[in-house]
Amino acid sequence: MSTALATAEKGSSLWADAWIKLSRNHLALFGLAVVLTLCLVSLLTPWIAPYGYEQQNLMLGASPPSAEHWLGTDVFGRDMLTRIMYGGRVSLLVGFIATAVALLIGVLWGAVAGFVGGRVDTVMMRMVDILYALPFMIFIVLLMVVFGRNIFLLFFAIGAVEWLTMARIVRGQVMSLRRQEFVEAAHSLGLSQWAIIRRHIIPNTLGPVIVYTTLTIPSVMLLEAFLSFLGLGIQPPQSSWGLLINYGVETMEEYPWLLIFPGIALSLTLFALNFLGDGLRDALDPRASKD
Amino acid sequence: MKQTIPPPLRSASVLTVCLLGFALGACGSGENRVTAGNRDGVLHWGNASEPQGLDPHIATGVPEHKIIMALMEGLVLKDTTTLEPIPGVAKRWEISDDGLVYTFYLRENARWSNGDPHNAHDYVWSWWRALQPALGNLYAYMYFPIKNAQAYYEGKISDFDQVGVKALDDFTLQVSLNDPTPYFLQLLDHYSLFPVHRPTIEKFGAPDERGTRWTFEGNLVGNGAFQLEEWKINRYVRVGRNPYYWGAGDVKLNQIYFYPTENITTEERMFRAGQLHYTYEVPVDKVAVYQEKGSGELQIYPYLGSYFYRFNTRVEHLSDRRVRRALAMAVDRQQITDQVLKAGQVPSYAVTPPDTMGYFPESDLTFDPDKARALLTEAGYPDGAGFPKTEILYNTSEEHRKVAVAIQQMWKQYLNIDVTLLNQEWKVYLDSETNMDYEISRASWIGDYVDPNNFLDMWLCNGGNNRTGWCNPEYDRLVLEAAPKASSHEERLEIFKTAEKMLLADMPVLPIYIYTSKHLINPAIRNFPKNILNQPSFKDIYLDPSAARVAEAH
Repeated sequence: MSTALATAEKGSSLWADAWIKLSRNHLALFGLAVVLTLCLVSLLTPWIAPYGYEQQNLMLGASPPSAEHWLGTDVFGRDMLTRIMYGGRVSLLVGFIATAVALLIGVLWGAVAGFVGGRVDTVMMRMVDILYALPFMIFIVLLMVVFGRNIFLLFFAIGAVEWLTMARIVRGQVMSLRRQEFVEAAHSLGLSQWAIIRRHIIPNTLGPVIVYTTLTIPSVMLLEAFLSFLGLGIQPPQSSWGLLINYGVETMEEYPWLLIFPGIALSLTLFALNFLGDGLRDALDPRASKD
Repeated sequence: MKQTIPPPLRSASVLTVCLLGFALGACGSGENRVTAGNRDGVLHWGNASEPQGLDPHIATGVPEHKIIMALMEGLVLKDTTTLEPIPGVAKRWEISDDGLVYTFYLRENARWSNGDPHNAHDYVWSWWRALQPALGNLYAYMYFPIKNAQAYYEGKISDFDQVGVKALDDFTLQVSLNDPTPYFLQLLDHYSLFPVHRPTIEKFGAPDERGTRWTFEGNLVGNGAFQLEEWKINRYVRVGRNPYYWGAGDVKLNQIYFYPTENITTEERMFRAGQLHYTYEVPVDKVAVYQEKGSGELQIYPYLGSYFYRFNTRVEHLSDRRVRRALAMAVDRQQITDQVLKAGQVPSYAVTPPDTMGYFPESDLTFDPDKARALLTEAGYPDGAGFPKTEILYNTSEEHRKVAVAIQQMWKQYLNIDVTLLNQEWKVYLDSETNMDYEISRASWIGDYVDPNNFLDMWLCNGGNNRTGWCNPEYDRLVLEAAPKASSHEERLEIFKTAEKMLLADMPVLPIYIYTSKHLINPAIRNFPKNILNQPSFKDIYLDPSAARVAEAH
């Protein structure tokens, strides 16, 4: 850092450091740009989509990409570009909300279990084990049956299943950090418990958490497609990328564009999220040198 | 230097190519199921869904029907080409001059699949069982032409001896009818009138108890050309020759596998990979592909089946006939058959398929969005405003989804109402429909016998297959009393026309199209009939391996 000498005493915040490191990572920046663009497009879809997502043209049927329909149309003559844009809204929402739910429950559960330890830890982790042993499909189907079919409940139900691994990861991290010298040093300096968690524990768990988060988002998107296929998730005419791909696979020999374009959209998002996640992990790693 | 692949890698890539090829059904060395089946006389049959059950007095679906047809047999069979009655368990029969008394002479060599003797008393007991209200036989009304059967079923008489079925001796069965019923012999080939094996049923529960284990693998005893060998849930049902069958010597196949093939895309791939001889359906988008290929594997022919939506008339807004009529008028059937289904289906505006025994239904239903909107306004929903939440239920299948999506959009476009879709797996769907736990439900009716009565008597008040809550005593009177007493065929058809007009005026059902049968059929299959009931005779079918080879070379 060019201003290292001047700021040496002041110290720079973790976030400022992270941003600088991230901005040097071109792949991560590309990922960030893609994710932001996708979010923006999704937000604006109702105003910028060329057609209605349910607008059919049965006479046209499935047609390959053309000037009127850039990405072609599906068997009902619905514009694929529009459907992918609307599908993206659902998929991204599922991805982010379900992951946020998983993150919230998982990190809290894991951190408490790991930090408090002892009997509390045993009880909490056995509960996680029990939930793990439950076939997760049955669990989700049960949740959907009890609470009815509602798109936000679906998000929540998926999130409520996905937090288990997160809790284990965080607990493991916290347990190992708790016994590290710098935490003991902080203790001996008289820092409060909360200050230790905030200043030392959480920043140190961020790396694995972020990586796992970027892996959770895509798996959640695919899970949504699966549930929708079983009739528990999104119902036509609404769609999501997972569903579009599902339908596309059925006719991939006749109408390949119905599979290729949603496939590209999903893979692009997953790549972008992975690059971004990788970059963020490097950037947020407090152990990395502050050159 | 030229790059060569090192030996181990090379064999790996050969393996990969072979695996890929196998997936596409083109790998020469590996023998697939169909080739092996052609040699060993094993038929691999795509059967749409996991059967809900194999009790002939409870089952109602086509997938169940196909398996039961292999396992059991009635007094009379149908010629698979002409659909004329031919001897089954009864080797011959006599009909009295007034057409009211049928006397059946049963084969002395008929046996159950465990070797037990099979005789006239089995029919008396089986029909008694089928008429027990607790059994919940959806087809109980099929017995109503028989004297006093309806009264017994409805509890008006309690003595079964008064019902018109008697065993005169071990091998003579006499059946008395209320009225001359031209289709009565056809009914006998329907599984709801099949005999069941009394000791087996009584071993596993009360005669009128539903869902006992008597139909399970290892338990079921039937009288058909085949017997149940193995039932792997969601994988297959396997049947094999019944050595005690009276015509066992003429049965050509050794085994039949029935596969649940709910996903028709997968089914088509299974066919291409040589895993199926016969597919239950063909994906819409593959029809053109096979037509172009011209291999003769794709077979499309007329099918006596009607595709429609049921309305639950007990749901408040759907209890208004104007709403039901409006919804029906806002469906552009021509577009559905021409653009969505694309396999020769015919748009329908009535429930009974036209030309069923010379019967052509009359219907005032048309595609008329303006009139539909006017009706909806009249019913209190101008421009769709305030139309309650409505859901279309369908059993999970690509085609049903497509039709539902198209109709959903038509209603949105013409009536400005939003409906949602819900798909359920076959068994769950059947339960929801039977329990009236739906609003609008996809449905279809495939002819059990060729007579308009078959499509009209399901709408009787509280009929097991009605499932709409619709009830009109005048309609019941026409179908149950007036039609059977008609003096001529023409008069009978006129009565049916009047009845069907009443049905359509109230529209508890929304007719959509008349089916075509479309299947992929392996050229090795011989004796495969193309009748409008799409009813195969498994004991006549055989496999000719040489035909398959010719087709491959071609």
